Amino acid sequence: MRQILALAAGLAVLAASACSAPVPPRSAAPSAPPAGPAALPAPTGPRPVGTTVLYLKDTSRPDPWNPDAEARELKVTLWYPAERRDGRRAPYMTAKESEILMRREGITGVPYDTLSRTRTNAVEDARPAGRDLPLVVLSPGFTKPMNTLTSLAEELASRGYVVAGIDHTYESHATTFPDGRVAECLACDSDTDPGFGTGVVRGRAADVSFVLDQLTSAWDRSGLIDRSRIAMAGQSIGGAAALAAMVKDSRVRAGIDMDGTTYARIPRSGFSRPFMFLGSAEHVPGGRDSSWDRDWRLLTGWKRWIVLSGGEHGSFTDLPLLAEALGIKPASGVLPAARGAELTRAYVAAFLDRHLKGRPGPLLDGPSPRHPEVRFCPAACRRS
Amino acid sequence: MTVTRTAAAGLALLLAAACTAPTPPRSQASTAGSAACTQPQGSPGPETATTIDVVEQAYFCILGNHYGGATLDARSLLVAGFAALTQELNRNGRDLPEAGMPPLTGDRKADWAAFEAAYRKITDRVPDLRDRLAVVTLESMVAALGDDHASWTHGGRRPPDMYDGDGYGLGLEANVTRSQATGDLGTALPPLFVTAVLGGAARAAGLRPGDVVESVTGSAPFIDGKATPAIAALYPRYPEARPVRLRLLRQSTGRRWSVTLKPGLYERDPAALRVVTSKLLDDDVAYVRLTAFAPDSATRVLKAMTRLRTGRTLAGVVLDLRGNTGGSVKEAARLLSAFVHGEVTAYLCTADGRCEPVRTDDTVELLGLPLAVLTDRGCASACEHFSSAVKDLRAGRLVGARTAGVISGPSQGYLLRDNTVLAFPARHHLGPAREAIDRIGVPPDHHTPLTPQDAAAGRDPALAKALTLLHE
Repeated sequence: MRQILALAAGLAVLAASACSAPVPPRSAAPSAPPAGPAALPAPTGPRPVGTTVLYLKDTSRPDPWNPDAEARELKVTLWYPAERRDGRRAPYMTAKESEILMRREGITGVPYDTLSRTRTNAVEDARPAGRDLPLVVLSPGFTKPMNTLTSLAEELASRGYVVAGIDHTYESHATTFPDGRVAECLACDSDTDPGFGTGVVRGRAADVSFVLDQLTSAWDRSGLIDRSRIAMAGQSIGGAAALAAMVKDSRVRAGIDMDGTTYARIPRSGFSRPFMFLGSAEHVPGGRDSSWDRDWRLLTGWKRWIVLSGGEHGSFTDLPLLAEALGIKPASGVLPAARGAELTRAYVAAFLDRHLKGRPGPLLDGPSPRHPEVRFCPAACRRS
Repeated sequence: MTVTRTAAAGLALLLAAACTAPTPPRSQASTAGSAACTQPQGSPGPETATTIDVVEQAYFCILGNHYGGATLDARSLLVAGFAALTQELNRNGRDLPEAGMPPLTGDRKADWAAFEAAYRKITDRVPDLRDRLAVVTLESMVAALGDDHASWTHGGRRPPDMYDGDGYGLGLEANVTRSQATGDLGTALPPLFVTAVLGGAARAAGLRPGDVVESVTGSAPFIDGKATPAIAALYPRYPEARPVRLRLLRQSTGRRWSVTLKPGLYERDPAALRVVTSKLLDDDVAYVRLTAFAPDSATRVLKAMTRLRTGRTLAGVVLDLRGNTGGSVKEAARLLSAFVHGEVTAYLCTADGRCEPVRTDDTVELLGLPLAVLTDRGCASACEHFSSAVKDLRAGRLVGARTAGVISGPSQGYLLRDNTVLAFPARHHLGPAREAIDRIGVPPDHHTPLTPQDAAAGRDPALAKALTLLHE
């Protein structure tokens, strides 16, 4: 893919190994002998999956966190349907990124490169297949590298979507750039400031608009993408960023917020593009975070509010899948890691199939006996 | 406490929002003390009704943990609580023949039993007022401590339409701060004028800094030079929403007019809300503004100063602490440690005079630059810890106005049975020379009062004076 990814002038382009990393569920206590590196579950869609990385530079605005940076640099990881299944699997992250993340999260007892040895499914720099495919932008949680959403990204690509995951520089513990620089979490310095979340999602919305500009026009493989079929999903503040990006950029036709407190102002007159809240038990109506209650009233189009019983904040990410390799035992009563990944993949894909492919399956119509953990709010999930 | 409560509310809000778990700001107080109440672990569950059992828990919690608890005459709390209870009965037209204060002996447990028996007898007669009476009783007991860092947080509601960073109120700040207007009016000086327009109704009505407020909903803000409670109407708190009518004078044009401002939510710029902001002034002065001693704020300030210093020779640094709402004792001491080593920055004392020193953290590298600190009546709590130490230890010059005098001691939260939080200090704060800062404030080395003319013209006499000092 390296050759065909040459971007138009003004862009720094580099295909490089996929990077970034995870972090484990906090609720758990270390225990049990480590099980060796984790393997992400295989994607369930029919298409082989490729992945590559782009480095983009937005010279039109200053970096929101680093006053010494001359431009906003972004690392974008793409997952897409590929022609062939064979080839080298992309690394999950570098050993250095693994070490930084584990140190920041205080994980000891297993080698610091453990996360970098996580086995992925996508083939590095594989030749893409198809054209005019729907595009899904993914945005990770605060301090989390983009690759903490790899399980979801690979699944969507196997089902025929192009996925563009953004590492919002300085909002993650570790983002490696082609010259070897590792950008750490400068935003972490101010994460207790009032208005912090509002500022983050504003910046991420600008990141998304810039990435869409590049992918849909400047990129010489922009034909891979159908620019009229773009959605966005994210976890935690990445989910809040999905809402913020939609409000600001009409190219984003539909959005999913996975367990993120929201910050963007929806116009008082309402907002009619399709939106789905997918949350853990913290995010029931009338729960401690009232932001979804506030926004729900302003969403006037197709909408869903789904809560996973036993789900945790990390259930929508790879993190529970990596816990065992890190010697972390899941807390009791929590949705098993594989089941969390399965439900996340199924409901996110059902939403995207409905709104980007015009294929409304039954999954989002209401409760299903095969998915008893899934509650449809606000009607069926008052705070207990 | 108003000041510190605002900061704590901001932090609590972020605790819910951000994904890393920040250290709570005022956590260094005692862990010893009475078992009547414990420090909250994580966020409390949903609030339940306040009952006499909760009032009892609070009473013994205060006596067991407040810095003055050991020497306090507990009867003062019970009398204050009972007085509020009788007033509430009367306001509801339900005064009762048996609502008289029971005799107290000075024995804390026996007095509580007598109080509780009388309380129960009354509330059995007015069961519909039971919850309300418990609330006013507890509120008054806390108020009776006369402690600006004592508070009882309950029934806390946020506007449902609020966004992170939003303000609530009229959208303005005046030279008489919220803390002064709702606390010690004796510190306020005429005339009352707008110092900042933040948004909301004030912006929509076209108010500007420097506009003099001649009346607040028909009342004079000052009578014979003394501030009146009318000024507090400038700072409504949710859910207060009654419109406020202001008569204004714009001195530059001589225009007099009236506006009616309705309290509400207003949006603020997240960039302006950052706790640490910095810039280079006159090519050789690092200016850093710090709005609260939040977690890691000392490191952030020093990082900003170091960055501005890179590649140039600085004449000094200006640390702008005006409006700084306080926060962590540790952060105040750490920041000071960039300017002086081997010193005591404050003492934290019990009522009977047993004191623990707070010392500089000498692992912090000395900056080695002249320091000017801007202070005003909005500089409270940890901000006064810092300012008093700068002055006493001659670590720099203070410029501006006297600080708030709101620094009873570092406040510690205790969870009550109804999932509300009672907070007060376990130690009283004294300056490096063991002098009281609470209620007095810290007088600046250079007094530079702000006039309405300065505010209207965007002049900053305190900053100008600080720059002059650093360039001398």
